[in-house]
Amino acid sequence: MKRRHLLTTAAALAAAPLALAHAQKKTTIRWWYHFDDPASNPAALVADFEKANPDITVQAESIPWGGGADYDNRLYAAIIAGNAPDAAMVKFNNQPRLIEMEALAPLDSYIDGWSGKADIAEDFWRLHRAPDGHRYYLPVQYVVLYLYCRQDWFAKAGLKLPTNFEDFTAAAQALTGADRWGFGLRGGAGGHDHWASLVLGNGAKLSKGGLTSPAALAANKWFIELFTQRKVFPPSAPNDGFVQTINNMKSGRTAMTIHHIGSANDMQAALGDAITAVPVPIGSTGGWSSFGDGSNAVLAQSKSRDAAWKWISYLSTGAANVAFNKLSGQVTVTTSGARDWNVQPARFLAATTASLKMAQVLPPTAQTADFTRTVWPQTTQKALLGQITPDAMMQTFEKLYFG
Amino acid sequence: MHARSLPWLLLAPALLATGFLVLLPVADTLWLSLHDVILYRPRSQPFVGLGNYIALLDDADFWESLGHSLVWVVVAVGLQFSLGFTAALLLNRAFPWRGLARALVIVPWALPSVIIGLVWTWMLDFNLGLINTLGLRWGLLDAPVAWLAQPGTAMLAVILAVVWQGFPFFAITLLAGLQGIPKELYEAAEIDGASTFNSFRNVTLPSLAPVIATALLLRMIWVANSLDLILVMTGGGPGTATQTLPLYAFLKAWSGADYGHGSALAVVLAILLLGVVSTYAARANR
Amino acid sequence: MKTARRILATDLPVAAILVFALVPWVWMLLTSLRPEAELTRAPVHLFPDVISLANHIELLRRTSFAENLRDSLIVALGAVSLGLLLSLPAAYAFARLRFRGHGALKTGFLMVNMFPVVLLILPLFVLMKSLGLLDTYFALIMGHATFTLPFAIWLMSGYVAAIPPELDEAAMIDGATRLQLFVRVLLPLATPGMVAVGIYLFIASWNEYLFALMLAGRNVRTVTVALQMFIGENEIHWGLLTAAGTLVALPATALFLIAQKHLAAGLTGGAVKG
Repeated sequence: MKRRHLLTTAAALAAAPLALAHAQKKTTIRWWYHFDDPASNPAALVADFEKANPDITVQAESIPWGGGADYDNRLYAAIIAGNAPDAAMVKFNNQPRLIEMEALAPLDSYIDGWSGKADIAEDFWRLHRAPDGHRYYLPVQYVVLYLYCRQDWFAKAGLKLPTNFEDFTAAAQALTGADRWGFGLRGGAGGHDHWASLVLGNGAKLSKGGLTSPAALAANKWFIELFTQRKVFPPSAPNDGFVQTINNMKSGRTAMTIHHIGSANDMQAALGDAITAVPVPIGSTGGWSSFGDGSNAVLAQSKSRDAAWKWISYLSTGAANVAFNKLSGQVTVTTSGARDWNVQPARFLAATTASLKMAQVLPPTAQTADFTRTVWPQTTQKALLGQITPDAMMQTFEKLYFG
Repeated sequence: MHARSLPWLLLAPALLATGFLVLLPVADTLWLSLHDVILYRPRSQPFVGLGNYIALLDDADFWESLGHSLVWVVVAVGLQFSLGFTAALLLNRAFPWRGLARALVIVPWALPSVIIGLVWTWMLDFNLGLINTLGLRWGLLDAPVAWLAQPGTAMLAVILAVVWQGFPFFAITLLAGLQGIPKELYEAAEIDGASTFNSFRNVTLPSLAPVIATALLLRMIWVANSLDLILVMTGGGPGTATQTLPLYAFLKAWSGADYGHGSALAVVLAILLLGVVSTYAARANR
Repeated sequence: MKTARRILATDLPVAAILVFALVPWVWMLLTSLRPEAELTRAPVHLFPDVISLANHIELLRRTSFAENLRDSLIVALGAVSLGLLLSLPAAYAFARLRFRGHGALKTGFLMVNMFPVVLLILPLFVLMKSLGLLDTYFALIMGHATFTLPFAIWLMSGYVAAIPPELDEAAMIDGATRLQLFVRVLLPLATPGMVAVGIYLFIASWNEYLFALMLAGRNVRTVTVALQMFIGENEIHWGLLTAAGTLVALPATALFLIAQKHLAAGLTGGAVKG
């Protein structure tokens, strides 16, 4: 026992000068990611990065998404147990929690000294700044929600594609008929994006009292009555997830729905030129389009923050970011990469960039994760089923956010 | 001395593994349930005593989910057992393709819950589902039904899926139990001129009773705690129509990050189950 | 005549139950054989117009599914072995021996399964981390075997209790030791029970997701975790998912096809007096 102890001490002493001589000791960093396509593999990006940085090894681990819950829960558990990765892909909706857990390393000084900073538009930096003024998230991909329209049906009915809520309501009603519905609502978890566009863009505001003002209540009543009175959503809407809303569109059951460029190639394959996209309608509060964020962060527990930063900043740089978004199915955040972006048909990219000016995110508070996962779907479904009034629904949201 | 230590010697490995991997986490959960634990505030976890439990009394969602749990357990286990027992009796008879039939019956059980949830969601799809398609074609339905979007049918749908998943457990467990009944008992009954029904009632049921009781008890605990099928198919919706107690605890603890409250819900569920089990054990020992 | 009665009373009801058991699986299989475009075509065609193995080929070529199957198999077989090893002696003690605390202890074991595992996973994660066992086969095998132990012990002791005690007495009179009795008399008679419990252990481990997600992931990735990778944030890869789903049911079914003949290997005629 004692002897072994002596031996290890001796070995450590012998190794010390060597370690000093090779100051550039090889560092291994662990990075967590999720891509929607299981066949997408970042190995080529890792190899390219390691060639340029021979002193760093990247261990990339794909984590199941599980509606966002599996990914987050695994990250929380790892942080609590002191086993967090060095860097990970992250979303806005858990940033407040991660900040409160002191789990994130501030990136301000890294970003300010980074040559790639100018290649990412100011809009992104605005959205990615944390409420405490620091920057923890480095943008790597994005989408903005827009409105899919069956332009062939619109043309046949002599309707123009909607830009405001009057046109939207009229079109939804005119295009509802036998086995066909004007709008495919996502009423299951994740559907808050639809609600936000239709209600927060049309009179309601996410500020104290802004959800229960007369204009807000009227907007929400109109939204619920689209289902209960005008019946322009399919009957399955209260439980529909993105699969059902997309499938309803692809199989010709709905005339409009809200989604983003991530499904554009699929839609194009199924419907060809019959489908197009426009920004969501603009109402009295100026229009609201959900910004679908995707970032990388360096975890505070990391002992190799410099190496982790090198890796995540590489992923947000020009050509690497384009390659990354081909794997993730979303859109590059770099100006240089966007110039000759040809991953999806041009009209969908046009709708995306046109929507960027009204891109919004839910408040960066700890309640947001609970709102999107549980409170929004349960409360909205109850209102759609007539178990509670539309006004009671808004009061529940007001209470959650503003007490 | 030897005889006295023998049971403990035999139990030691199982006790050790359980104590280490289960009792420690359970103790931790009990402890957390007495605190105000917000997952993202690891530094501040004030002791609140029974506060989390007292809060439950006023929590309408808790009482509602308790009611749903009751329906979920009683109906699902009842149907699983009826179907499984029938299957076991049939598979115990002699027929040429018995081996194959026994193997095929476990297919539903051999699938992960997430697959089962997604396949049933797909089959119950309003627009592209097999059930609406066949129902319309065979004239059983006048119009497609949004099975998962209405409170009544949603509960029915998740129960259907869990019955499908769970009946093979009863089939196999009870089939193994049927094998243990000595043939002589049936022969004796036959000699006494008993009808098939009588020998079922007088031989099969009494001999199988302990296995039936154990299987029912174990399955009840399992179903009471299972939430993955509901989570995949409805997420507890529409509204809260299919939210059972463990699902509520899970959503509170993780999505709501209110781990203290979630732990209290889990403890209440465990105590309720313990009540049922002790009642059972007391009756079995009598 | 006798055959006709058997078909009516046995074959047909069995077939009806199997239809119920297999329709979702067959529907999944048919879905996996459809080209992508057919999946969203309304109205639904029951049988695919074109049969395509593209999904199965992509599954095995472009994803790590074959390795995931191997990992799942290692974990499940490990959990069966460890589970039987731990539960058999305990079941024997509960079924045959009298000791203080017998009833309370047996009920106590069941408490293991009374907590929703989702709330035990965090402490368990911290425990495994401090033991340095995260992301190993052993962590999953231990986890699965332990959390199925109560079921295994209760079922097993039920089967052992059903073996007539007269056999023990006869063997003891013949001068056998307890160990000899256990190995030569009880073990063969408990085979049907062991098969049933073994299948239970195998399937429970095979289908387990939460532990596999939290306690492993990079070096050890089971099929349940791999399946979850086909369900993305904006896309469900139905083709891959159904191709994988049809394959996942096969190992347990095949295993049981082999093992099921031992279900009948229990008592031989004359072993017990009426």
